[in-house]
Amino acid sequence: MTRAALGAGTLEMLILKTLDTGVLHGYAIAQHIERLSKDVLAVEQGSLYPALERLQAKGWVTSQWKASPTGRQARYYTITASGRKHLGAKKTEYDRVALAVARVMRGT
Amino acid sequence: MSLWNGLRYRLRALLRPARHTRELADEMDFHLELEARQRARLSGDARAADDAHFAAQRRFGNRTYLHEESRRMTAFEWLDTVNRDARFAARSFRRTPGFTAVVIITLALGLGVNTAIFSALHALLLRPLPFDHSEQLMNVSLTRSGNTTRGAGSSDAIVWSVPKFTMLRDQQRVFSELGIFGPDEVTIAGDTHAAERVEAEVVGGRYFETLRVRPIIGRSFLPEELDRAGAPATAIVSEGLWQRRFDASRAALGSTIDVDGHPHTIVGVMPSSFSGLTGRSQIWIPIAAEYPGDLTEAWNLSYAGVARLAPGVDAARAESAVRTIGARIDAATPYPIGHEQWGAAARPLDATRVDPAIRRSLFVLAGAVIIVLIITCANVAGLLIVRASRREREVAVRLAIGASRPRLIRQLVTESVLLSLAGGLLAIGLAAAGVRVLEALNPASTLRLQNLTGLGVVSFSRITLDATTLSFAAALAVITGLVFGLLPALRGTRPSLVEGLTTARRSKRHGGLTGRGLLSVVEIALAVVLLAGSGLMLRSLRNLLGVAPGFDASQVLTLRVNVSSDSSAKAATNDYYQRLLTSVSSLPGVTAAALASCPPLNGGCNRTWLELPDRAPVPAADRPIVSVHWVSPAWFATMRVPIVGGRTFGIADSRNTRRAVIVSQTAAAKWWPGRDPIGRPVRLGQGGFNNDTGVVVGVAGDVKYVSLDSPPAADMYLAYSQSQRPATVVFLRTAGDPNALRASVERAVRAVNVNVPAYDVRTMDDRAGDATAQARFGAVLLAVFAAISLLLATIGIYGVISTSVATRMREIGIRVALGATNAHVLRLALGEGVSFAVLGAVLGIVGAVAATRVLSALLFGVVPADPVTYAGTVAILGAATIAAAIAPARRAGRADPMRVLREE
Repeated sequence: MTRAALGAGTLEMLILKTLDTGVLHGYAIAQHIERLSKDVLAVEQGSLYPALERLQAKGWVTSQWKASPTGRQARYYTITASGRKHLGAKKTEYDRVALAVARVMRGT
Repeated sequence: MSLWNGLRYRLRALLRPARHTRELADEMDFHLELEARQRARLSGDARAADDAHFAAQRRFGNRTYLHEESRRMTAFEWLDTVNRDARFAARSFRRTPGFTAVVIITLALGLGVNTAIFSALHALLLRPLPFDHSEQLMNVSLTRSGNTTRGAGSSDAIVWSVPKFTMLRDQQRVFSELGIFGPDEVTIAGDTHAAERVEAEVVGGRYFETLRVRPIIGRSFLPEELDRAGAPATAIVSEGLWQRRFDASRAALGSTIDVDGHPHTIVGVMPSSFSGLTGRSQIWIPIAAEYPGDLTEAWNLSYAGVARLAPGVDAARAESAVRTIGARIDAATPYPIGHEQWGAAARPLDATRVDPAIRRSLFVLAGAVIIVLIITCANVAGLLIVRASRREREVAVRLAIGASRPRLIRQLVTESVLLSLAGGLLAIGLAAAGVRVLEALNPASTLRLQNLTGLGVVSFSRITLDATTLSFAAALAVITGLVFGLLPALRGTRPSLVEGLTTARRSKRHGGLTGRGLLSVVEIALAVVLLAGSGLMLRSLRNLLGVAPGFDASQVLTLRVNVSSDSSAKAATNDYYQRLLTSVSSLPGVTAAALASCPPLNGGCNRTWLELPDRAPVPAADRPIVSVHWVSPAWFATMRVPIVGGRTFGIADSRNTRRAVIVSQTAAAKWWPGRDPIGRPVRLGQGGFNNDTGVVVGVAGDVKYVSLDSPPAADMYLAYSQSQRPATVVFLRTAGDPNALRASVERAVRAVNVNVPAYDVRTMDDRAGDATAQARFGAVLLAVFAAISLLLATIGIYGVISTSVATRMREIGIRVALGATNAHVLRLALGEGVSFAVLGAVLGIVGAVAATRVLSALLFGVVPADPVTYAGTVAILGAATIAAAIAPARRAGRADPMRVLREE
């Protein structure tokens, strides 16, 4: 099965959506996205961490080091209020585009 | 908040890069570990864990790349871009060292003179006065003729007498503190050190309290020490004097110091940061101790007043209150002679810190350096346009392959800012040198002794490069870089440039004002304004220097002595003077020696009333005022002032004979027009006349005592032998360099009386130099600025002509091939440049006629519309244009049609 790579903007949107459900570390974010997408969407670490840094640089996400269940220290990410606002805007836009694409593809 | 969160994150990444990288690595290790564990679990094989780890790592990708990627994401991207742009620019400048050097030197000149002049403005006008809440400090003064509109600090302002000041102090309700001070020089002795002459301030009122300065040890003066004659004499010394003469010992407090022959008890030491409102005082003495007579003399005007506004009172209210009280003071102590009505005025101390004339010339110079800066910008912008035109292909390629225009403009502006920063660095060196020159020329420092209102005397105005002036230079460099960089950047990245790729060499647009041409016209016009201005100032200075002062200043050494510092010398002043003259005359190298009470070109001397007993009597109030001088008989010969009628003083003029008076030619013509003044009786208000009548025995040539540009005055000379003064100036005519005699003269003076030291030892040339200091200050600096702008404008014209020749070589070659004459080629090559020069000159002259009007108050013997100056300006500009055109013209003349066409 070939997996679909994600554009930077899309990945950011998915990360924000994932973090909207709770505080997670990077690996868990990737797992969450891959699991919910039934392994169709691949989250490469090479794009995950830069994306997380971008999100932090934009102030949409903050992070904090905490002990993970395995006992190791891990960085846990939290979505910020402005991150949620951005997510809302992205979701509206995504719904509009997705619906439009779907209409065109179905040819109705 | 998101902005703050994001900024904090970036800052952390930027400021703690090692930690940031380490955390990133930890995080990725954690990720890898979980990934490996997950795979091992999925395969159910513990040994597969290693494989899984490698697989995970493979999936993870190149770690270093990841780090770099992350850094790019987080760091301030623009900072990185600027850095890369700057490196790129630096590389390209290294490839064109000639261009780069010219630009940087041009900028260094423009920024350097601006920084230097700014530091003068800052020191003399802008820097806050070094006192606590100095904005509350006011200068209070008397005003002559009741005209208070111009107020304190203007030429109308007069210093106080103690009784008049006391009236102000007691009647006012607008100030919390008031004090007065008079600049003075005293001889100090009495400890184990040799007697020396130092600057002092004689103070009254609450001088220190008004300025809010406190002694570092000891105390301030007590009220009774200040205003009660006969109170024990006290003194406060400066920290420097305390260290020098008392080894900074606390024992100095309570010990005595001999001030002008009287013991004073030291009660305090002032910090080194404070040197009084004169800026030079080393010792402070109460008026009551030094000049007790002044406490009651309503017309002994010697003291400048300073006051601190009471809380809640503004300057305007204080000014009107002082005016009202001024009228009352005048009513209580009316002017004794004439009908003058006097008043009082107050204005912020800050506004009186320099002489209005110096303020004016500083503003003129500031205007001039701004013009220099504009020319600098125009010139560098012109050079950058030429550079941009050589880089058209590079720019076109970059635009074509998708570089955005803003990105390219940013690159080009980065280049220009980089250049201006380099120029700015060099400029700081230049400014440092300039500041030393300014400090040497500083007219405020030479004029301060002459302006006794105290306020030109304010001289905590050392011109220096400090943090403020350096920030000014830095800001100026950046702004300049943006200003001169933007035009070429906008022009150089026009989208139409893509055409540059398609044609190997576009044919240039001819005629009309291109950006480059417009810049050079502006440069020339502004240079003409400066040339005309500096021409006027130089002609004015020449006129001033050409004024005959009435004496011969060359090879004359002058020094001052004051016998009041020694009671024995004071008791027998005539004898002391006689011995002094004998002692210094016998020094090898001295050809003549004489005394006078007041040196020429000093800003004025003693004045008193005159009465002519052989005329109808005039009321005392209407007596005319004349200047009086006490001189020794040889003074006229020593200074080479001609005796045009009668005789000079002689041994026969003694205390027992009738007072002899020598009058100046102007005085003779004024009081005895068409008649011989010799033998006429005169009476003067001073000089030991005691209502005796003197007689005119001689007429001397006019001497300029006040300044070179003031008309000769009605001066009267009296003989020292008939009425002495405690202070005198010794004049020595020397055979060789007068400076070589300094040491031996000082020794000779000390040998006559060890307690009467020589001070203020200077050549007469030096003193005369002070009289032209202010004119020199303006003229020399304006000339330097004009020269710089002329140089820059010449480079500008050269640039225009040589670019025009370079781009038209092909056309010229073809024309030569078709038989054009040499003259024709020259006209073709130079036409554009010359027409720009003519246009610039015309605009410049129009501008100069308007601009030089501000100079009129600074000019002497020349009108702002002086035709000679304008003719000279045009001639200089013409010569500069020719100089700029020579090289390109020769290049055009050598145009070889074959080669030019082959190159095509």
